Amino acid sequence: MTKVLIVDDMAFIRFALKKLLETNGYEVVGEAKDGVEAVEKYAMLGPDIVTMDITMPNMTGIEALKAILAQNPKAKIIMVSAMGQESFVKEAIINGAKQFVLKPFNDEKVIETINKVVAL
Amino acid sequence: MSNQQVEPMLEMYLFETKQLIEQLEQIILNSEKADEYCPTDINEIFRITHTIKGASAMMLFDNIAGLAHSFEDVFFFLREEKPQNADCSKLSDLILEGIDFINAEFEKIGSGGDADGDATSLTLGVKDYLDCLKKGNSASPKAELPDMSAAKSQHYYVSQQKPFSSGKNFFRATVFFENDCGMENIRAYTIIQSLQDVAADISYIPDNIMEDDSTVEIIHRDGFQIFFATNQSLAEMQEYLAKTILFGRFELIDSVAISTEKQVCRPKEIIMEDPPVKVPNKEPVVADKDSHTAGPQSMISVNVDKLDRLMDLVGELVISEAMVTQNPDLRGLALSNFSKAVRQMEKVTSDLQDTVMSMRMLPLAATFHKMHRIVRDMCKKLGKEVELILTGEETEVDKNIIEHISDPLMHLIRNSIDHGIEPGEEREAAGKPLRGRITLEAKTAGSDVVILIKDDGRGLNKNKILGRAREHGLVHKPEEELSDKEIYSFIFAPGFSTKEKVTEYSGRGVGMDVVVKNINSVGGLVLIDSIPGAGSTITLKIPLTLAIVDGMMIKVGENRYTIPTTAIKESFRPRESNIVIDTDGNEMILLRGECYPILRIHRIFGVNTQVTTFTEGIVVMVENESDTFCLFADELIGEQQVVVKSLPPYIKTMRKVGGVAGCTLLGDGSISLILDIGGMLKRAQEYT
Repeated sequence: MTKVLIVDDMAFIRFALKKLLETNGYEVVGEAKDGVEAVEKYAMLGPDIVTMDITMPNMTGIEALKAILAQNPKAKIIMVSAMGQESFVKEAIINGAKQFVLKPFNDEKVIETINKVVAL
Repeated sequence: MSNQQVEPMLEMYLFETKQLIEQLEQIILNSEKADEYCPTDINEIFRITHTIKGASAMMLFDNIAGLAHSFEDVFFFLREEKPQNADCSKLSDLILEGIDFINAEFEKIGSGGDADGDATSLTLGVKDYLDCLKKGNSASPKAELPDMSAAKSQHYYVSQQKPFSSGKNFFRATVFFENDCGMENIRAYTIIQSLQDVAADISYIPDNIMEDDSTVEIIHRDGFQIFFATNQSLAEMQEYLAKTILFGRFELIDSVAISTEKQVCRPKEIIMEDPPVKVPNKEPVVADKDSHTAGPQSMISVNVDKLDRLMDLVGELVISEAMVTQNPDLRGLALSNFSKAVRQMEKVTSDLQDTVMSMRMLPLAATFHKMHRIVRDMCKKLGKEVELILTGEETEVDKNIIEHISDPLMHLIRNSIDHGIEPGEEREAAGKPLRGRITLEAKTAGSDVVILIKDDGRGLNKNKILGRAREHGLVHKPEEELSDKEIYSFIFAPGFSTKEKVTEYSGRGVGMDVVVKNINSVGGLVLIDSIPGAGSTITLKIPLTLAIVDGMMIKVGENRYTIPTTAIKESFRPRESNIVIDTDGNEMILLRGECYPILRIHRIFGVNTQVTTFTEGIVVMVENESDTFCLFADELIGEQQVVVKSLPPYIKTMRKVGGVAGCTLLGDGSISLILDIGGMLKRAQEYT
């Protein structure tokens, strides 16, 4: 089963994503509430895929992305962004994020995105 | 590449390129009339040929692309060098020939064949012309370089920095994202990023996706185009992209053309939503020469099959409506609320019917304008001078019908020029203006469109026609009894031609009968009239649409028949004294000094009826191209629009049904046969 790490500072979003992923056959191996935690948990859990919120306290998603990719250049990271954050999404993509999903979530689109990135 | 992906592309290509060709033809003809190519026209022709070249190369139709390229070179030269010695007439000939070639290729492509025509000689002809131009223009210092135009026109190509360096296969992928996926420009960029793993020389349109968020609009409208080189095969790339692209569909095309030609015609995308309100403040990134593809679209193209289906459904709806509103169960009930609702429903269905019909309507203008070309070519070949005047070209007709009248019109115009309009000397001798005149006129009359082809030529020669008719054994009546109209209508007979000399255009005697057949097949009628020395007029009466006809409902015994109103001249109850029976027992009616045969419908169709005496029933006078006669029925029920259904296939295969054009369902669920007047006559002759 594909292992997923969910990174978001909002608990309810982590919950929603976790439920969605688990009903679609993914195993959520861990959750992180900021960038620092994300980098730590990535190293510890070695997930196949990470969903990464962008605006978070302590360390932003983009910094966390860079740090994780520095650990493992092949890491598959999907950014989670709200509409209107184009510039952040661009920065993340340029820095090596594989894909992005937009909030509010469209369940099917989220799953399709993750499926595609996993299959890469 | 699977067929589903090729075909819409091909369809779009044909559609757009055909439009361009028509535009081109129009410009050439106008320029020829003015005897000069003005700078605007030259620019326009350059643009059109350039676009045709690009699009055709994209589709791998090398012959068309090559030809268009040679034209482009000529007009590039004309535009840049403005030579004084250009021979307009010769150039027009060359291009028109080229247009014919391309149209012929389109015909092949459209019917599923290959574009295998050889354009070499045409292309060489154009090259020669260009060489002559250059030689004649060598006084101009700029033109001294022999391959000036080639060198310059390169300027318009986006050159690849490292062509062929990093992969042997070139592809173009066009990606269309789903409507609501958001941030299309960034999504597009992720595709580019992942493509970098397998491809090189990647370029894309629009190219400033990361800098400019308004490119979202462009991507949404025109798709995101990626050009790249790779060592992978088409199938491999297909698979790769399918894996990579999210929330979108894509078209992948390989082409050598991509390496040189970047400006391709962008496939039009149907935008089902409202056109974007926010107009991108930047110009679209593609050097936009074909402005007609840009801008928010207010038109969509729809498959005709779908419109046919819609029309069918509306027809069914009209019938079902009648079945409800005229339901026998309702008879004698006072239902005021129900009646109100019915009225509302009738209004809606009739609006719906009008709207659906109007969707299928096209103006005759395109068909009419094609005739300019025919006139020009004919005049040139025959050394006559003829002016074509078009009126009412904005008249709209059902698309199916337009397709059926283009050929007949062409033929009639040719006939008029060849047989009708006299040579110059003869015209002057007759005191007519040197220039012949043909008027092509369209107008709406009720539910019909009337098209008139009028010429001011010598008119039809009655004696010649009669002589010829005699030779062919077409005359069945004493000659002195034949009316002018009857004599003229002999020319509609198969194999008939009075022209002794067969010319390239007409005189083979195949034609008028084909014209009649074509027009009949859409439920139309051809009438002819002529004044010796003053010209002839051919009238085409064509229904606006095939799907719904105005008809007169008549009753015979228990059956109801529908006669198309186009065919009806009048109807009346005859008086005993008007009935004439000749020695062979043929029944006829005498009306205003003319005798018309009467056909009893009940006899022709073998129907039982109580009404057999003429004075108790009704007589409907009908006409077709050649005959006017009367049909005898029990009574008239009334006029109404009916939805035409063809006879069920199993009946048609069982036996040939003469005299019936189709059938229609009536409100009470019963069937009414729609009569075919020509067929009725034939059936009657067989019967006797």
